[in-house]
Amino acid sequence: MNESRVQAIITKEWLDMGKNKMVLIMMALLPVILVAMILGTAWLMQRTPEADFDPNTGSSGMALPAELAELGAKTGTMVLINDQYMFYLLLIPMALPVYIAAYSIIGEKETRSLEPLLATPITTAELLTGKIIAAVVPAVVLAWLSYLLTAAGMILVASPIIVAYMVRPVWTLSMALHGPLFALLSTACGVIASSRLNDARAAQQITALFIVPVIGLSMAVLMGRVYINLNLLLWATAVLVLVNVGVLWLAVRLFRRETILTRWK
Amino acid sequence: MIQAMNLTKRFNGLLAVDDLSLEVREGEVFGFLGPNGAGKTTTMRMLSALIAPTSGTALVNGHQIGTESQAVRASVGLLTETPGLYPRLNAEHNLGLFAKLHGVDDVDGQVRRYLTLLDLWTRRHDPVGSFSKGMQQKLAIARALLHEPLVLFLDEPTSALDPEAARVVRDFIETLKGRGRTIFICTHNLNEADRLCDRGGVIRQRLIRVDTPQALRQGLYGQSVLVRLQQPAPGLETTIAGLPFVSSVSAVEGGLRIALEDPEIHNPDLVRTLVEAGAAVQFVEREAHSLEQVYFDLMRESEAPETEVTA
Repeated sequence: MNESRVQAIITKEWLDMGKNKMVLIMMALLPVILVAMILGTAWLMQRTPEADFDPNTGSSGMALPAELAELGAKTGTMVLINDQYMFYLLLIPMALPVYIAAYSIIGEKETRSLEPLLATPITTAELLTGKIIAAVVPAVVLAWLSYLLTAAGMILVASPIIVAYMVRPVWTLSMALHGPLFALLSTACGVIASSRLNDARAAQQITALFIVPVIGLSMAVLMGRVYINLNLLLWATAVLVLVNVGVLWLAVRLFRRETILTRWK
Repeated sequence: MIQAMNLTKRFNGLLAVDDLSLEVREGEVFGFLGPNGAGKTTTMRMLSALIAPTSGTALVNGHQIGTESQAVRASVGLLTETPGLYPRLNAEHNLGLFAKLHGVDDVDGQVRRYLTLLDLWTRRHDPVGSFSKGMQQKLAIARALLHEPLVLFLDEPTSALDPEAARVVRDFIETLKGRGRTIFICTHNLNEADRLCDRGGVIRQRLIRVDTPQALRQGLYGQSVLVRLQQPAPGLETTIAGLPFVSSVSAVEGGLRIALEDPEIHNPDLVRTLVEAGAAVQFVEREAHSLEQVYFDLMRESEAPETEVTA
């Protein structure tokens, strides 16, 4: 693996990304909306009287998990809803790379720039590494920044116990570990879809399907069926690492230079 | 410099290139002529190690395609049919990327050198999407030359350009001649091939003929002169056909077309015989066949497969 070639691809991708207003808007929009939504919800709930929360079921109509019951109805419900929102923050490293990766590969097809690129000594592994890093890093940085901003904002709008639950090790670790793993998985799926499809939007839509299980998990948390703890975090990390390895292997295998060159018209 | 041995390429069973063998010498400008779908681009992609042949092999700059593909790609420059530039990036960034990918030592210096050489230096900070087609093509040529490759592949270098831009690009290619680079041009612009190429190959899936443009003409038509006469002279054709150095005579409008072994040696005898036979000779001129005529006659001669493959 030639590092300078990988670095050249990353630099090019970021330069190109910086000049693509559509990509920049999409990258900024999702984190801004999510952070605003989380803080807005916390602000509203904080101002809702304790009496408005049912001591048995919180506000969702479903029983609070045993781990949160001792916090009281209002605080327990706020923690529960925040826990669900943390999954939404994890959607940032999942959703953004799909968008970036689809444009980064199919964009090459649209400008017909892939053939000159493949005519250089760059290997498939170097090309994909460069493109994947270029898509993963901004998404992960934005996810981490969103998490930090949300935590900082929470100090202003919610009680200290809500902040403490939000930055508890399970979520901080999840952001630190699952953020990059989700981003990597999402990018690899984007590369696979882009290698097979000619349309960036179709590639994004197909890749976006794998966000569904994460949304499902977040709903399970909201309904009190699952409570995120360290044990679950470690299992999820192990599964994600395995899935990532498999999908990355598949992405490199499916990126056939010759097929892409001769079939992309 | 380029040695192709029995190169064959099939796409899902469809024959794109059939058993192609050819040799392009060092420093030579070689024109690869053929209609759309004849296999020109496919051959060029195989020779520049972008796609693998179904069978056969080739040596490019001493490296074997297939087994030393990376070395082949490092030693050749490729101008693709469309410029394939990054429109949002400026000219400097477009070239800088490729200089780095090719491991050029002095990236900035080499980028400056080629932007200056191709009169693009003052536009170096402008996004390439704002460039005219001619400027984009010049930038794409610069990109192919950045790493100073010994072999340069040019795929239809002027096909999408207006006549003025095409001339600029053609003039630049002409300046590259004689600098030791081997240049392989795929084109269906026969005037361009006539002007630029030392030798040419005509392809339609398989290689039909390879030679210098002049030899291709001679091979098909021999050497002939056109004799313009003030008025037709009866029996003249029979008299001329009897000369030992004349291979054929035919009547054309206003005179005769006479095929000779060597016009430079035999023209004086021919003219003397014509005058003695009572012909009122106005002009004697060497018949010039355009490469276009040669090409169309070769195409007619060839037994092309029915299937047409583009890749």
